[in-house]
Amino acid sequence: MATNATISPRRIALYLAAAIVVAIWAFPILWAIVVSLKSESEVLAYPPRVIFTPTLANYRDALFGGFSILPSFFTSFIVSAATTVLTIVFAVPAAYAFARLRLPGKRAIGFYTLVTQMIPPVGLVIPYFLILSKIGWLDSYQGMTTVFLTFSLPFAIWLMVSYMEDIPREMEEAAFLDKASRLQTLWHVILPQVRGGIAVTVIFVFLNAWNEFLFAVQLGGNKVRPVTVAMYGFVSVEQTLWAKLAAAALIAMLPVVVIGIAAQRQIVKGLTVGAVKGGGRR
Amino acid sequence: MVRRALFDGEQSFAMLMVAPALLVLLATTTFPLVYLFWNSFHSVNLAMPFMNRFVGLANYAAMAHDADFWHALGLTAIYTVSTVVLQVVFGLALALLVMEIPRGQWLFRIVAILPIVLAPVVVGLFWRTLLLAPNFGILDFVAKWLGFGAVNWLGSPTPALISVIVIHTWQWTPFAFLVMLASLASLPTEVYEAARIDRAGALRRFIHITLPLLRPAIVIVVIMRAMIALSAFAAIFAATGGGPGTATEILNLYAYRTSFVKLDFGYGSALAVALLLITLLVSSVLFIMRTARVR
Repeated sequence: MATNATISPRRIALYLAAAIVVAIWAFPILWAIVVSLKSESEVLAYPPRVIFTPTLANYRDALFGGFSILPSFFTSFIVSAATTVLTIVFAVPAAYAFARLRLPGKRAIGFYTLVTQMIPPVGLVIPYFLILSKIGWLDSYQGMTTVFLTFSLPFAIWLMVSYMEDIPREMEEAAFLDKASRLQTLWHVILPQVRGGIAVTVIFVFLNAWNEFLFAVQLGGNKVRPVTVAMYGFVSVEQTLWAKLAAAALIAMLPVVVIGIAAQRQIVKGLTVGAVKGGGRR
Repeated sequence: MVRRALFDGEQSFAMLMVAPALLVLLATTTFPLVYLFWNSFHSVNLAMPFMNRFVGLANYAAMAHDADFWHALGLTAIYTVSTVVLQVVFGLALALLVMEIPRGQWLFRIVAILPIVLAPVVVGLFWRTLLLAPNFGILDFVAKWLGFGAVNWLGSPTPALISVIVIHTWQWTPFAFLVMLASLASLPTEVYEAARIDRAGALRRFIHITLPLLRPAIVIVVIMRAMIALSAFAAIFAATGGGPGTATEILNLYAYRTSFVKLDFGYGSALAVALLLITLLVSSVLFIMRTARVR
């Protein structure tokens, strides 16, 4: 690495540009944190004040007040967790067959999976509304989880395939020589090898399920109201209580932000696995 | 004999492994999609259920004379093309910038991951209330302070369209940035060093060396982002609700409003089918372009 300490104009320009970039992307989030610490009258002060007495009242209100976000938080957790578990159970064996086994009609099935991933959500929410209302599954956990599988499963299968393809062949062959059954091979040889890939898939599926809005707002209701819908409802109900909105939104987003920062490496890997590797394939 | 038995076993085992996922996909995606097609050939109005009947291609024929549809289609094109181009250009520029900064890359990665993990609906709400709202939003304050005067960002058509494009670009450029950064870092170092040492020809080396090497990553980003832009919903819905009027109502939101606000599920289904066909068309064109040039 060139470690010249000389301050060239080019270097200054670089760092200045970098600082502006960081500011643009960090600002809306930092500003939301600032607003969440203000009192409602402070929010409406003009010009906006940067120096004020911070208060945690908004957080207290968002958690334990009349429009508490906790029930929605719980709902989001159940739906996201259920979606994640089901997705992994279905996706991992399918990905194994795609990546490793002779499968009749592999190309056709693979293409089909890819196409299901491209269906615009609005094309599903319209028929689902009619179907779920007919069978009485609107505003139900089983209905919401079923619908969430439509976007999580195709995605998870493809992500897992790219991890399965990286496992050295010799490992399976050794297992076969030891007369291990195919299921035993999958369980004892393959799965330990793709633990990292499963972790990445779990993170992505959970994040996507937690953040989903269109299905949630239209197919949920008073019983099943995930945090994203609660946030939206908050604005329509409480027109300008932005400090409370900011606090509630930050609480609602806390799990995904924590996962995002903690699993940042894995997420970037998941984002790029298709892009960097995919170039050479197919 | 033994080997053939092994293969036979392999095939049936493979089918057994795929079958559950395939059945779930058939039941959860294909069945509703067939029902969507079915509805698109019917009049399905929840406000007047007694009028429901088979109408053939009437819903599709109606699109030809529906000004709102063409308006939404045009907006979809503008929204998709502009957000994808902006994401790729900014993402690549930022990745190149960050590659020049040896220390502190972790800061960029952390800042970049945050917009990606936030729910689009929350991003839309943040921008609508905290940044763009008249009088109280910080951007409105900055605009006034800089002497541009008050701009009702989400209240008038063109600024509202610009705003939803900016919001989408803000949220998803970090995705392009992270993919580009990873691809840049995985380039053969000799090539990259050569491009750096010879500063005089930096631009030419970028065009002739870096860009072709990054091509697969760029194409993937374009495909993935175009798919997402075509089905963008929550951020626009939260920021403008498609308004003012229909100024930011891309096809996705129009199909939604037709079904769930006007309760015209037949026409809404036809609109959703149109969006599906457009999505498949765009993606197959992009996929064909991708494979055609590689050879």
